[in-house]
Amino acid sequence: MFTSRLTLLWLLALPVCVFTAFFLMPLGVVLISSLSTQDGQFTFAQYGRILMDGYHWQVIGVTFRLAILSTLICVVLGYPLAWYLVRIVKWRNWRRTCVILLILPLFTSNIVRSFGWMVLLGRTGLVNDALLGAGLIDRPVRFLGTETGILIGLVYILLPFTVLTIGNALARVEPALEEASRDLGAGAARTFFSVTFPLTMHGVMAGGIIVFSMAISAYVTPALLSGGKVTVLAMLAFQQYSTVFDFNYGGALSITLLVFTMALIGFSSWLARLGAQDMKGN
Amino acid sequence: MMKRLLLASVAGLIGMPQAVLAQSASQSITVAYYGGNWGEAFDACVAQPFSKATGIKVVAEIGNSTTTLSKLQQQTGNAVIDVAYMDGGISEIAEAAGVLAPIDLAQLPHATALQPQAAYKNGGHVFAVSAGYYSLGLIYNTNEVSEAPSSWEELWNDAYAGAVAVPSPNNSAGVPFVIFLAGAFGDASESMDATFAKLKSLDSGLLYDTSGAASNAFQSNEVIIGAHFNVGAWDLIDAGLPIGFTVPKEGVWATDARMHIVKGTKNAEAAAKFIDTALTPEAATCLAEKLYLGPAITGVALSADIERKLPWGSGGSIEDLRLFDWSEVNAKRPAITDRWNREIAN
Repeated sequence: MFTSRLTLLWLLALPVCVFTAFFLMPLGVVLISSLSTQDGQFTFAQYGRILMDGYHWQVIGVTFRLAILSTLICVVLGYPLAWYLVRIVKWRNWRRTCVILLILPLFTSNIVRSFGWMVLLGRTGLVNDALLGAGLIDRPVRFLGTETGILIGLVYILLPFTVLTIGNALARVEPALEEASRDLGAGAARTFFSVTFPLTMHGVMAGGIIVFSMAISAYVTPALLSGGKVTVLAMLAFQQYSTVFDFNYGGALSITLLVFTMALIGFSSWLARLGAQDMKGN
Repeated sequence: MMKRLLLASVAGLIGMPQAVLAQSASQSITVAYYGGNWGEAFDACVAQPFSKATGIKVVAEIGNSTTTLSKLQQQTGNAVIDVAYMDGGISEIAEAAGVLAPIDLAQLPHATALQPQAAYKNGGHVFAVSAGYYSLGLIYNTNEVSEAPSSWEELWNDAYAGAVAVPSPNNSAGVPFVIFLAGAFGDASESMDATFAKLKSLDSGLLYDTSGAASNAFQSNEVIIGAHFNVGAWDLIDAGLPIGFTVPKEGVWATDARMHIVKGTKNAEAAAKFIDTALTPEAATCLAEKLYLGPAITGVALSADIERKLPWGSGGSIEDLRLFDWSEVNAKRPAITDRWNREIAN
């Protein structure tokens, strides 16, 4: 017993050290600077400055709107895609090809992919050219520098995460359960919503949480696609660190983002648990 | 035992580079400058001629101005870098942080040709010498804009609505550009309300963070007119793109790369000699040809083709540049950035 515990301790030592040195320490530094004045006195003033100001609430609103919409769209688009990959595709090589196509963009940098969207969505880009050519619009639609443009970029980058997690969950659903539901007289839709969907809920939640936390903290995509005209919290924090050199205010912005994100993820998991209990109760 | 061995070898590893440095100190100096084509130009135009003339090797320490400043702050008391290149703005912060040594111009034979604006003084001593100027001029797509705009007012021309690029405060030129516009449009108020109202009415296509993003947008025709650095603009023009660069009647905001001697340097004499080499007409000509940097010294003869690419444009001079007191810009930075966030980037 003793030796195995000692072994466990040794095995854990490295990850714990790495986690402390590269995660907890920097986070601690940010937290401390967010609670300090320029000359090192303890203060809550930075948080007051953020939370008592309508402008910051507006930026928080934009940030959360983009993250929540990205999450919803990724789930809504990701579910059918995962369904297609797991249930419809019969030919193994084609499924493999599809999965590779799906994850291939993850191997290129975010910056490159965002620049790609800048070319596509630009004033004289492919999308506007096509719309103009088809006679659907008579002057270029503005995508860059709008929330829509950022949303398109975020969904594109984050979609693979929901497809993979939902696909994984779908593949584990016992076909017998769905067959039983159909045998007992439930239609296809009823079977899906009462049997399949609840059984894949953990995949949806996992994918949703990954997408949400990546979208809410995204910096590169919003910074490039906003053209400097839409601001999210991560951009505001980066600006304080990189050009204004106000680490106290920048730190407080980062911690605010972290706390709000954790609160929302906690709230949604609580809702999901409540829903699951409800279902059991019924 | 094991532990002691380990400690000894770690100590050896830490001690070794210093020993090596001390040995070769007489034959080499360390100079901090930027990477990319700027670094290559400084190497070819200044470092190599200096080594050739003196036999002293130049060790390059590559980094942008902010990185160099933090290196200088970390090595106070044991200076490894002898000469540091840093941009205007960061230069003043470095001086305030006390990491710079005074430069005695009387000991530099070539300093007699230095423009009076190019020696930066704090109290009685010089802390920085300009290595050359660059400006934020007006650039435009020659296919869409037929005549070179004569005023910054052209950015507000309806014909270019949605296709105008200006720097955001995240770019080093952003905050000075707001102050420059206030001056150009005669807004002398402390609050700059009129300037912000005017900026708010600008139908822009891009408020850029990096000069690369601006070059990219001009290249892809996303924007057709705007403010951009002369260096970036001429890179586009030289690549054959339909771009023009002009200095409007209100002038242009400009800044410079500067050279500094680091406090506590063990090679003060070589460092001074290095800066003297950078002040020769040959070095200034070379930098003007490679980076279109406007010379900080008089008596530099350049070809007409290079002359028009300088920060003040063809026929201009250093007098056309609006050089700001960076201490003032830095003092106004938080307020201007905050107001920009609220009113423009929104």
